[in-house]
Amino acid sequence: MQQQTPAPKPKKKVKVTRTVNGIEQEVEIEVDADSGPGWGPNDKHRLLNHAMTRVDGPQKVSGAAHYTYDMRPPGMLYARILRCPNAHARVTKLDTSAAEKIPGVAAVIPGPLSELRFAGAPVAAVAAKTPEIAADALKAIVVTYEVLRHVVHAQDAIKPNAPKVVEEEANLQQKAKRGDLPKVEAAFATADAVVEAEYISARIHHTCLETHGMVVDYNGGDTATVYASTQGTFTIPGDAAQALGLPQTAVTAIVQHMGGGFGSKFGIGVEGMLACKLSKQTKTPVKLMLTRYDEFVMAGNRSGSWQKIKAGVKNDGTIVALQARQYRLGGVGQGSQAGQPYIYRAGESYREIYALHTNEDSTVAMRAPGHPEASFAIESLMDELAYKIKMDPVAFRKKNLADEVYYRQLDKGAKAIGWERRNPVAGGNPGPLKRGMGCAVGTWGGGGNNQCKVDVTIGRDGSVTVAVGTQDLGTGTRTFTRAIVAEELGLQLSDIKEEIGNSKLGGANSSGGSTTAASLSPSVKDGAYKARMLFAEKVAPLVDNAKPDEITFAGGKVSGKGKTITWKQACAALPSAGITAHGEWRSDLQATGIHGAAFAEVEVDVETGHIKPIKLVHVQDGGLPLNRLTLESQINGGMIQSLGMALWEGRVMDARIGMQVNPGFGDYKIPGALEIPEMIPIIDDDDKREVVIGIAEGCIIPTLGAVVNAVFNACGVRVRETPITPDKILMGLMNNGPMSA
Amino acid sequence: MTKSRDDKDDKQTSHDPSRRKFLKGVGIAGAGAAVVDKLWIDVEARETQADPSQSMSGSVKVTLDINGTKRTAQVEPRTTLLNTLRNHVDPAVTGPKLVCDAGTCGACTVLLDGKPVYSCMVFAVDATNRKIVTVEGLGTPEKPNAVQAAFVEKDALMCGFCTPGFVTSISAYLKTNPNPSLAEVREACKGNFCRCGTYPRVFEAALAAAKSGKV
Repeated sequence: MQQQTPAPKPKKKVKVTRTVNGIEQEVEIEVDADSGPGWGPNDKHRLLNHAMTRVDGPQKVSGAAHYTYDMRPPGMLYARILRCPNAHARVTKLDTSAAEKIPGVAAVIPGPLSELRFAGAPVAAVAAKTPEIAADALKAIVVTYEVLRHVVHAQDAIKPNAPKVVEEEANLQQKAKRGDLPKVEAAFATADAVVEAEYISARIHHTCLETHGMVVDYNGGDTATVYASTQGTFTIPGDAAQALGLPQTAVTAIVQHMGGGFGSKFGIGVEGMLACKLSKQTKTPVKLMLTRYDEFVMAGNRSGSWQKIKAGVKNDGTIVALQARQYRLGGVGQGSQAGQPYIYRAGESYREIYALHTNEDSTVAMRAPGHPEASFAIESLMDELAYKIKMDPVAFRKKNLADEVYYRQLDKGAKAIGWERRNPVAGGNPGPLKRGMGCAVGTWGGGGNNQCKVDVTIGRDGSVTVAVGTQDLGTGTRTFTRAIVAEELGLQLSDIKEEIGNSKLGGANSSGGSTTAASLSPSVKDGAYKARMLFAEKVAPLVDNAKPDEITFAGGKVSGKGKTITWKQACAALPSAGITAHGEWRSDLQATGIHGAAFAEVEVDVETGHIKPIKLVHVQDGGLPLNRLTLESQINGGMIQSLGMALWEGRVMDARIGMQVNPGFGDYKIPGALEIPEMIPIIDDDDKREVVIGIAEGCIIPTLGAVVNAVFNACGVRVRETPITPDKILMGLMNNGPMSA
Repeated sequence: MTKSRDDKDDKQTSHDPSRRKFLKGVGIAGAGAAVVDKLWIDVEARETQADPSQSMSGSVKVTLDINGTKRTAQVEPRTTLLNTLRNHVDPAVTGPKLVCDAGTCGACTVLLDGKPVYSCMVFAVDATNRKIVTVEGLGTPEKPNAVQAAFVEKDALMCGFCTPGFVTSISAYLKTNPNPSLAEVREACKGNFCRCGTYPRVFEAALAAAKSGKV
């Protein structure tokens, strides 16, 4: 195989975002100074920025796509985890003897923790011939606990005499502080109106349909293959190898298809560590996929929030002062929450951010960690201020947003939802079924980093393969990867094959922070461009020795100096191993910083408190849209998940027993077919930036606030705690007094 | 469309008088006591002691008609049809997904004599002598049925884990109502959950498949 050996290149330093275990970190890295052509104008592409059906669609619709959960190496054992039923406890005795005697049980091992700080924490794990026998084994394990005091509600955890969640730490810890308090207090004195309110957002579950877990294909030899349901192929081999007692290079991670992660699937996790240990002990392949119950109680969740905000506004709509006290509700973890005033100008502002522990499973990253939480509070507050001074909410936002991109997006969204139909008087429409509208905006980064290493190989048989270890979460990664190469080489999508989801292929970043597209696509483009130039050199003799940059590749043909040959004829000139070009990341092909605006229309039944979503609009920019079809699907998905947060979803804890009372789809309501409104995803084509930016997280942020504000506009009830269940509407109506209509 | 969660119609599983009736093996974790009461099934029993420290396991040889092919598997009476397809039949049939194991999400939907059921709520021993069709039996990547083709065309999938269930439910529904309204399509897939948020395009795909006239 002929490998292109690039000459030493000038370097430059760039700042990029890297995601480690779902936590974004900004780091400075050195990369090659950018070389090679750019993407070109967004409206000049042949495949990119068009609607392409996803290349793995046919496999997924026919059951031929194989997920981690579908893997079944010969002799495989099924593993399950025993969970602690107490919110805070120590194990004093673990008797596994009865479980071990059950025919078909291969191994029982203790969990890794000495102190269990939430109900659902892992206590032991078993591996057995069938999942049914594994379930029997769990029931036969006898555990004696020393039960400790617990606290699961934030309002209780903050009290001075509250039980300590984490021995070494106070339940309440200040994490950040910004602003000049005396200046803020002075600014409040200049305000014409002041709103002070408290907002609470519930903890949300990812509810990935494919639960967390892995299949460890290990038979006691020198190597292992790990099939993992993960957002980070390369986050698996190191820890898996350690748990198996093998060198890292001995473990291959494979992620062909993945049934949803939304930020929760990085690294092997406790379940992966237990799976590896069981496999090591039994020298037999082990599958450990969490049950649905496990997934609710121990697979992480989105941070809850509790925010106390006060803002002062002038009668012309200018916010002059804002003061916020923000609690991140992260269970035993740290939680996350963007700082207020989020993306608004708010004159003089001051904020304090705290982490507040409870005896609950740790929060983990979830699609735009901390942003919908902050957005919900500030967008509610913006609305409250706008109503207070009787200003249109769209105009009010424009007045207080610095970035003008939002202005056009708000206009586009207002037009699409039919904002002119909105009654400016909250609850002002007649009859018991009252409609209303609301809006909100959001932002995200979405830039990439230099972790993707891509190989593009053109074979003498005419085949083209693009290889990179990255994973496709269902975001269309395979499809855009093919499209970039096909467009560069003048071929069709079906002419390209991709190899992905394998840690033995070129390195790749984890899919966190919407970084996949902006990390991968520049490397693919670079590899495809270099492959084209290398190919042009080889094929030059067939087209009258045209110079490489004069040779064109279009419509499956290769042309130079007026001579045209077919792709296959050109490939026949290649050496037997074909040619391979190596693609590296180029910072100039990507960027960071996106904008979105959401509008919602809802109908509130003021007799029952029931809320029916009528219409959702989301306007999203993101530079060059790689694939319009899958991009719109992601915008839809963001709107729907955000709608779920607004109206139905929330983890409910029982304070006395310290357990979650809704750990299943029967009680934890995710959006279903009957609740989906008319939906309009709008790609903001006025964004002319010729760069790739990730948009996945941007799309989940503003709909939540838009829906909450639409509910207020519809019925005049300001609900400051999500989800907005019917009881909160009825309570609010009662407090508001008789309806005016 | 009604989702049959415990599809107890008049059909009984085959009964070979030469074999013993068998009620053991409904383990301590066995689900659905009402169904268990009616569970008189033929077995090749491997009886075990009813010692509570041991699992009350017995194994049953079942023959299942899966996508037109007779397949056999050795399972426990409590083993669900879903787990039989995924864990016992060889090679495995993994189109139907295990997501909730509680009859709430629809990802395991298969057709039992043409009717969509949650296969996590059906015992394998109750599915003998029935025609089982999974998503694999509806079409292939190369030769998709009209619903599968429309799902690809309209991008009615993202991660794809719920997709087999939706495709199966809608394929069955369009047989009973080849020209549905949007409201009827919503009703037809109310027993299937998607987390990525593909619903609008699932509806579009169902309507497009109906319009194609190839259902």
